[in-house]
Amino acid sequence: MYEVISTILKYVFTIVIYIFIYTIIRLIYLDIKSMNKRAGLSDKKYPYLKLLNRRDELSFRVDESYVLNSRKTIGRLSKNDFVINDPFLSGNHAEFFSEDGIYYMRDLGSKNGSFINNVKIEYDAVPLNNGDKIQIGQLTFIFVQDNR
Amino acid sequence: MKNYTRFVKPVYMVVLINLIGFLLLYMYSKPNNNINNNITIFAGFSVIALICLTYALILKLEMGDEYLFLIVSMLMSIGIIMLYRLDRNLAQKQIIWLAVGIIMFFACYFAYLKLNIWYKVAYLYPIVSYILFIITIVFGGGKRGANNWIAIGHINVQLSEIIKVLYIFFLASYYTDPDKFRDCTIAVKRLKIKINISKQWIFIALNYIFIGFLFLQRELGTAFLFFGVFIFFLFIFGSKISTLVFNAIIACIGLVFSYFYFYHIRVRFDTWINPWSDISNKGYQITQSLFAIGSGGFFGTGLGLGRPDFVPEVHTDFIFSAICEEMGIFGGIAVIFLFFIFAYRGFKISLMVKETFDRIVALGITLMFALQTFIILGGVIKLIPLTGITLPFISYGGSSLVSGFISLGILQAISKKA
Repeated sequence: MYEVISTILKYVFTIVIYIFIYTIIRLIYLDIKSMNKRAGLSDKKYPYLKLLNRRDELSFRVDESYVLNSRKTIGRLSKNDFVINDPFLSGNHAEFFSEDGIYYMRDLGSKNGSFINNVKIEYDAVPLNNGDKIQIGQLTFIFVQDNR
Repeated sequence: MKNYTRFVKPVYMVVLINLIGFLLLYMYSKPNNNINNNITIFAGFSVIALICLTYALILKLEMGDEYLFLIVSMLMSIGIIMLYRLDRNLAQKQIIWLAVGIIMFFACYFAYLKLNIWYKVAYLYPIVSYILFIITIVFGGGKRGANNWIAIGHINVQLSEIIKVLYIFFLASYYTDPDKFRDCTIAVKRLKIKINISKQWIFIALNYIFIGFLFLQRELGTAFLFFGVFIFFLFIFGSKISTLVFNAIIACIGLVFSYFYFYHIRVRFDTWINPWSDISNKGYQITQSLFAIGSGGFFGTGLGLGRPDFVPEVHTDFIFSAICEEMGIFGGIAVIFLFFIFAYRGFKISLMVKETFDRIVALGITLMFALQTFIILGGVIKLIPLTGITLPFISYGGSSLVSGFISLGILQAISKKA
């Protein structure tokens, strides 16, 4: 009896260990991807979006932070500046731009909407303040702008 | 498909491995009724609880890199399950050591972060280490040809495991700021000779004293380990070719000398080159290990169905043979894989962190683990001559486990700074 169970469970055992290794390597891979993106821009004084979700709970690749050094669009399509494969994002979801040192966000007609501090925004540009919570799709970002 | 990752979090895998393992162990001991099986259940749950609690704390306190502990807890789970199958009393002791180790892990994590004195006391590390060595030599007891244990109460402590950490700090404080070690001038006035010894040579000499002490205690594995780390550091920090060659020559002379003058080193070499000629005596251990690894096949015999007890010292140095026999070559490769990812994480932390001292400490700790794994796994599979040393986090041994967790705590603290 014991022999049978042990023989069956040894396969389960091996498979579980390899699934563990796979998940760890996958998480590390996500880590490196975001590391390469960040390099070079991190020292400069641009505002950025900081991800609040835990990345290992998401099934797609997303960076820890996105630097807003110029006009940036976000969405699922590859022509966007920030491409995120969240199924709840629209192809062209939202846009960030700056005028006279003030940063604005506008929704580009997305299906599931964009929210700043839980208020839905439309195509009209909305100014962003340091610490604003931005929700798009399944993602929640925080807008960080160091006060000069 | 959506968010499937929520269900395959790595920490669940570790828990699952422990559940499967201890379930098997519970059933395995059924026939002998004289053993209290409730202890098995209790042991299993305490291991799971310790791992989950530590992992939760690491996440809650945002202690930097979270993968390091996960990888280590997986290695540890495999080790404890294997140990429990080999000898339940040792495994229960090991679980107590695990609890001590985790306390030390947190203590070292906070000590390293809060105290900022580690790079200032460069001279203290060799002095403390040498004192510990001398204590071991004077009060130490022998065990299996090595003379490296001291008894505190009922517990045998292997001080060289602590010296490993001190040694890394010593290397790091030298390379952070070599000027802390002054040039030394020996002047013999009567003969009008002035010998100027530069700090580099003082540093090299201090290193050889470390290795020499280990040799005296017949801890060949650890001596080899220290020398490996030393050579790697010389290479990484761009020493001159002549320095490297000089050290290589010293090592060769030392090896040849010890081959002819120390019997036990000659035995190690002979059994490495041909263990089959004296299979019943000198070559017994290594050949039994090879038989054990071979008899496992791809998936192993299954937990409790092999005969790893033929291998002497199977619970410490040779635990890898037992893993290969009962969990198969795939299990063995998984262990090597886990050490690979661990080393990779360590090197990445070392690259990310800004302060030089932290960088070098992270590098040293990672190198130490990686080389230690290489030396013992290579020895067990007869790739290199066998030297007795523990497999980090897997082998039985309180000192080794606690020292492993101390290093891990420091690495964790450095990853927090990165």
